[in-house]
Amino acid sequence: MLEIKDLDVFIQSSHILQDVSLSVGESELVCLVGRNGAGRTTILRSVLGFIRPDSGSIKYGGQELIGLAPYEIASLGIGYAPEGSAIFSDLTVEENIQISTWTRKTGRSGEERIETALEIFPVLRKYLRRKGDHMSGGERKMLSIARALALDPEFLVLDEPFEGLSPAIIPQVAEGVSAITKMGHSVLMAESNIAHVPEWAAKVFVIERGEIIFEGRPAEVYEHKEVLDVIGGSGNDERICTT
Amino acid sequence: MSTPTERTTGSTEVKHPDGKGIGLWLKLALVLLGIVLLALLPQVLSRYYIILMMPFFAYSIALLGLNLLFGYTGLISFGHALFIGVGAYSAAFLMRDGGLEYMEPLILLSVLGAVIVAVPVGLLAVRYIGIYFGLLTLAFGMLFYSFLLKFYSITSGDQGIRVEKPILLGFIDTTGIDYLTGPFYYYCLGLLVVMALVMWRIVKSPFGLTLRCVRDNSVKAESLGIGVYRYRFYAFLISAIYGGVAGVILAVSVGQVDPTMSYWTSSGNLVFMTLLGGFTSFLGPIVGAGAFILLQDQVMSLWEYWRLVFGAILALIVIFAPSGLMGLLTMGWKKVVR
Repeated sequence: MLEIKDLDVFIQSSHILQDVSLSVGESELVCLVGRNGAGRTTILRSVLGFIRPDSGSIKYGGQELIGLAPYEIASLGIGYAPEGSAIFSDLTVEENIQISTWTRKTGRSGEERIETALEIFPVLRKYLRRKGDHMSGGERKMLSIARALALDPEFLVLDEPFEGLSPAIIPQVAEGVSAITKMGHSVLMAESNIAHVPEWAAKVFVIERGEIIFEGRPAEVYEHKEVLDVIGGSGNDERICTT
Repeated sequence: MSTPTERTTGSTEVKHPDGKGIGLWLKLALVLLGIVLLALLPQVLSRYYIILMMPFFAYSIALLGLNLLFGYTGLISFGHALFIGVGAYSAAFLMRDGGLEYMEPLILLSVLGAVIVAVPVGLLAVRYIGIYFGLLTLAFGMLFYSFLLKFYSITSGDQGIRVEKPILLGFIDTTGIDYLTGPFYYYCLGLLVVMALVMWRIVKSPFGLTLRCVRDNSVKAESLGIGVYRYRFYAFLISAIYGGVAGVILAVSVGQVDPTMSYWTSSGNLVFMTLLGGFTSFLGPIVGAGAFILLQDQVMSLWEYWRLVFGAILALIVIFAPSGLMGLLTMGWKKVVR
């Protein structure tokens, strides 16, 4: 579904991404794990059109994404829930979700799409008329993902969906991500904490200093001590997302 | 758009924290009362003050448009008087050279003139934000001012062009000062009400909400499929249309157009009025226009250095009441309700 090949990104004179290649198949959850500054967000921003790579290709359903504007990429059906949620605080929760239904027309009605998003995160029903800035961190994350989902995307990009959440909230968000994948959406998720990677993820790519240093199943990461050392996992971490 | 809240929350419908349901009816009642009071003014005020209301109507319409750009889209224009000038001069040219004497085609064609100017200016300016957008609009405003001043053979330079009283609604052709204090007053009031209703629909529509997303975070808005430049451009065009209509009203009420209409101080006054009334409120700019015109009239008659007073007021607003007069009124109202 998404194919990134030999991607190179320079920012000023720094070589941020070096020959990065990865792929995400239909209905797959693929996780991109790396420390802060390793290049995770740069990959996501390249996919979303916010950064123009210096070389390589990013193909979505066979179509080249490099050169397209971010809004054109979104209209192809790529939803994005950014790190830090970035919800529109001046808008109500309901309006935040509705916005996505207006910007991309699909075969499904706006009501259906909003209902789907609320089925995934039912807690949001309680706050529909509340302004975005009156929400907790966890609720904002859920709203951010729900808003991306209301775009009716075939592909979702999630940037650190569990970052900064209390352990009590993480399972709710993880259940939501699991339900999204079961609905047939493909998901590319960036994470800094290997313990947040669900066991059922199709693949894990570990990135370090702009290079992919590992590719495999989540369980296999724990068999490679050198990889765990790089991403700060001990192998004894409690797995948070096992849904 | 339907309201999924009602459907999805069922019996546990969530009330807005500030009780907006009641607030909305009260606001509507106050607005209706305001319109009735404005309609009654010609019966109680002297002609001097009724004529003073003409620029109020014109600036209110211009500010509704400017606030779509400033309050809702986050773009501050320092050259918006450009469109008032284009509207006013279009009307003057159409009457002087085209022999047009009916108000409605005059408004439509002047709006067309404003749109023709706004398209190239907007296409360039909306690619910038903040001070760069402000300075670009200021530059275009000053370009137009220089054109009006220097191309004497077309514009009559600083002498300006005389504007006759156009026929309203195809049959109202009153002469003398009765025209301004009678039919034209109600015509402008009607125009303001209609244009305010249209703007209300715009800001409450999906388009208006999209503009607020663009204002709050343009990068994230793009990731939701919003073409940021396109939406800014549309907002710019709409604000130019409102500026054009305001220009026609000003031209007719003053009976004369001259280059100062699009000078940078006129644009500055528009920004001042918006801040005075409060750009965070829909009606704020209208309140600002009224307060500005009344203040200017009173302070000018008392002291020749009236701009000093206005400067001090502007500083006080920015420091102590950034939400303007409407912000103060809302705060006072909330205290009374508590």
